[in-house]
Amino acid sequence: MQNLELKDFSSVTPARISLPAKAGPIALGLAEAAEHTGPPPSHVRKKSIVSANLLKWIVKRTLSSILGLFAISILVFVATQALPSDPARVILGPEASEEAIQTLHHQLGLDQSLAAQYGHWIKPALLGDFGISIDSKMPVVDLIAGKVKNTLILLGLTLLVLIPAAFTLGIYLALHKDALLDRLTISFLIFVKAVPSFAIAYGLVMLLSTLVFNLFPAVSLIQANQPLWSQLQFMVLPMLTLVLSSLPYLVRLIRGSLIEVLQSDFIISAHLRGLDKKQIIWKYAIPNAVIPAIQAIALISSVLLGGALVVEVVFAYPGIGSALNAAVDIRDIPVIQAVVIFLASGVMAINLLADVVTVLLTPKLRTA
Amino acid sequence: MASELSRRGFLIQGAALGGSLLLGGGLLSGCQDDKAATGHRASVQSTTPQYGGRLRMGIIDGSKAGDLDAHKPTTASAIIRGFALYSKLWEWSEHMTPDLALAEEVEVNDDATLWTIRLKKDLEFHHGKTITADDLIFSTRRLSDPELASPYLGYVKWIDRDNLVKLDERTVQIPIRGGTGLLSLPDAWVNFGGIVPVDYHPVTNPVGAGPFRLKEFVPGQRSVFTRFENFYKSGQPYLDELEIIDFKDEYARISALLSGQIDMANGVAPEQITALKRHEAIQVITNQTHGFQSIDLNLSLPPFQDDRVRQAFRLMIDRQEVIDRALAGQGRIANDLYAPLDPTFNSAIPQRQYDPEQARSLIKQAGYEGLTVELTVGPGLSAVAGGSPVAQVFAAQAKKIGVNIKVNQVDAATFGGPKRADWQLSCNSKLGGSFLHTAATVDSFLSSANKTHFADERFDALFRQAISTKDLEKRTPLVHEAQQIQHEKGGLIIWSYVNTLDLAAKHVGGLTPERSHFPTWRFDKLWLNQSV
Repeated sequence: MQNLELKDFSSVTPARISLPAKAGPIALGLAEAAEHTGPPPSHVRKKSIVSANLLKWIVKRTLSSILGLFAISILVFVATQALPSDPARVILGPEASEEAIQTLHHQLGLDQSLAAQYGHWIKPALLGDFGISIDSKMPVVDLIAGKVKNTLILLGLTLLVLIPAAFTLGIYLALHKDALLDRLTISFLIFVKAVPSFAIAYGLVMLLSTLVFNLFPAVSLIQANQPLWSQLQFMVLPMLTLVLSSLPYLVRLIRGSLIEVLQSDFIISAHLRGLDKKQIIWKYAIPNAVIPAIQAIALISSVLLGGALVVEVVFAYPGIGSALNAAVDIRDIPVIQAVVIFLASGVMAINLLADVVTVLLTPKLRTA
Repeated sequence: MASELSRRGFLIQGAALGGSLLLGGGLLSGCQDDKAATGHRASVQSTTPQYGGRLRMGIIDGSKAGDLDAHKPTTASAIIRGFALYSKLWEWSEHMTPDLALAEEVEVNDDATLWTIRLKKDLEFHHGKTITADDLIFSTRRLSDPELASPYLGYVKWIDRDNLVKLDERTVQIPIRGGTGLLSLPDAWVNFGGIVPVDYHPVTNPVGAGPFRLKEFVPGQRSVFTRFENFYKSGQPYLDELEIIDFKDEYARISALLSGQIDMANGVAPEQITALKRHEAIQVITNQTHGFQSIDLNLSLPPFQDDRVRQAFRLMIDRQEVIDRALAGQGRIANDLYAPLDPTFNSAIPQRQYDPEQARSLIKQAGYEGLTVELTVGPGLSAVAGGSPVAQVFAAQAKKIGVNIKVNQVDAATFGGPKRADWQLSCNSKLGGSFLHTAATVDSFLSSANKTHFADERFDALFRQAISTKDLEKRTPLVHEAQQIQHEKGGLIIWSYVNTLDLAAKHVGGLTPERSHFPTWRFDKLWLNQSV
C-alpha cells in the first residue's frame, strides 16, 4: 500500500543548482543601474555567446540522458529477473501444469540467456517497437499510448492550476507574514499535508460526487475513442486531489524563499536607496524567490508523472502509474520496460527544462 | 489495505483459474439440487423483459488485464468477457450443473471413454457462418493443443485430439484417454470451451456464438459488446449493448454504482454490503455457492507429518467465528470436504466440532507445545486467494491453545510461483465444483499443485475408478468412501462455503439468487427496465 502514497516532498531540497539569494538578478540589476552612466554593454554579442554555450550544454545533457536511458533499461531488465516467479507462472496461475509453464517459457523466450533476451528487446525498441504485452497480447505501444496521453493531460491540468495557485498564495502569505490569515493558512496547509492523499481523494468523492453534492462523476471512466476535451468532467476530482496534495509544499516553499529574499541585504539596501516598494517586490524580490520553486515544480512533475497512482486507483483513472504497477505485479516485462523508459525520459526532460529555465533566470549562471 | 485487497480479491479474482474448476457433478446424473436458491430477492419488479439499452458492469480483476482468448482465459475478467462473446456446448444451470447449450444431444459410453456430441440445428457465428462439426473439431483441437500453453491443460490433455471423428455435419466423436473420461467434458468446457469458427483468431478475429459480439476492447480498462441478433436462444439477448468496465478499487466501483456510472457489480466484498442493503436504488443478490475457503496443511512437512498435529489444527479452528469476523457472516460452516452440491457428496459424515481442549491435548501428546508455524497468504489478485483477515482470526484462535501462527503475506506472483506447493500452511479458496473436478486440482494425484501433499493409495484407487464411472449409482459409493478418507486423513481445513454478493441498480432485470457464482454473467438473460 505504501506505494499508493504520493512522495513526501518536504524532505527534499530542491536547490540542486544552489543559488545564494543574495547574488541573484537583483544584485546584478542594481549593479547595472549603478553603472548606468558607463558604456552600454554589448548585449547582442554577449547574448549570442550565451546561447551557443547554452546550446552546447543542452546537447551534452541530452546525450548523457540517452546514455542514462540505456543504463536504466539494462538495470530494469536485470531487476525483473530478480523478482520471484516469472511471467509464465504468473500468467498461467498457480494451478497450471509444469508442461504448460515450460511451453509458455519457451514461447516467450524466457529459456534464453539474459543477454539474448535483452538483445531481442533492444533491437526493435530502438525503432520504436516495444513488443507485445505478455498479458493482453496487444502491442505495448498501442497499450500505453492512451495512458501516456491521459497521464500527461492530468499532469498538465494539475500544473495549470497548481502553479498559479501556489504562487498567488505563497507571495500573498510572504507579504503578510505572521498576520492572522498567514498563520491560519499555514496551519491549514500543514493539516492538508498530513492527510494521506487517498483520504483527500475519498473525501472529495464524498463531498463532490456521492454524499453531499453530485457535481462530478465519482470515477474517471474516460472513453479512449472520444476527445479528452469533451470529457473534462472526469478530470476534475483527480486534478483537485493532486493539486491539494502538492499545494502545501509548494506554497510554503515560495513563501519561505520570498521571506528570506525580502530580509536579504540587497533588498535592504534597495530600500535604503529609496526604490519604490512595489518595484522592489515585483522586480527584484520575486524573481529571485522563484528559482527554488522552479526546481520544486520539476520535482513535483517528475513524481506526478509516474506516481499519481493513488488517483489512478481511487478514480479508476487510466494512467501510466497503475499500468506500471500492474505490469510489475504480473511480470509483464515488455510493458515494464516501455513504461520505465517513458518515465525516465520524462523525468530527464523535466529536469533539463527546469535547469535551462533556472540558468536563463540567473545571469551569473547564464554568463558563466 | 492489503488485507482488504485479499478479502475482496477472493470472490472475484478467485474465478481466474478457479474458474476452470467450475462444474456441477450432474450432467450424467441429471441432478437437480432440491435446495432452493437462497438469498433475498431485493426487489419485486416487472418481470417481463424489455429490449434495449446499454448495461454497464463493473468488475475488479487485480493486475492482469487479460485478453479475449476463448480457450485460455487467464483472468476472471477474461472468463466474464468470454460469457458475452462465446457460447459453449454446455452452460451452467442455477445449481451449477452443466445444461446443454449449443449441444443438442450428448451420448457417453459406460466408462466415459467415448463422447458423441451433436450440435443444435442452424447455429450461427457472429460473422454469419453456420456452426458445423468442423468448427467443433477445430475448437476441440485448439483448446487441447499443448502449444496453446493453457492453464487448463491439466483437464483437457486427456482428449485424444488426433482421433476426433466427424460423423456428420453436426456430429463429432471425442475419445478420451487415460481413464479420466469424466474430467475433460463437460464441466471443464463451460468456462473455457467456447465454440469458435475455423478462421478464429483471439486478437484479429475474436468471433464466437455468444449473446454479444465485440465492439471495442481496451485491456485493463473496458470492453464494449453489441447484441448478436442470431443468438441461438431466440428473442435473446435483450440488451442492445453491454459494457464491462475494469476497476482497481472496490470503493471506486461502489461509488460508480451509487453515482449511476455503472449498473451492476459482481462479487462485492461482504463488508461493503451492510451499508448498501438499506440503499433504495440498489438490489443485493446473495448467492449461497459451494465455493469454499480453506487452510491447507502441508502433510509432507513437520509438524503436519504427525497425525495428531493435523487433527489438532482441524479442531482448533472456530469456524463460525472466522466466518463472522473474516467473511462478515457471509458463509456457511463446512466439514473439511468440498463439492456439497455434487449428488455424490457424502453428507452422512458428521460435522467436525470446535474443540480447543482436545486440540491442546493432541499438540501436547505430539510433543509440540509452544509450536510455531508459518501461514502464507497471497493477496488474492490471482487465481487463489488467501485473505489475511482469515489468517489473523485463525492465528488468534491458535494462540489460545498455545500455537503461534506467523502470518506471511506475499504477492500473487510469489504465492503461485515456484514455491507454490512448498508452503507449510497456506490459505486457499476455490469456486464451487463437482467432486471429481475439485479433486483433480486440489488434492488428488492429478493435481499439478497439491499444496497438501495428500497421498493415499485407497483414495487414489477410488478416485481413479470414480472418474471413469458414468453411472451415478455406481459412482456414489466410491466418492462417499473417498470423502471419508479425506475427512479422516486429508490436509484441507475447509472451514466455510462462501456466499457471493452481487449488487445492481434496481432497474437491472433478470437477476435472481443462484447456487452458482454468476447470475451477473448471464448476459443473455439480463435486461434494463427503462421505466424505472
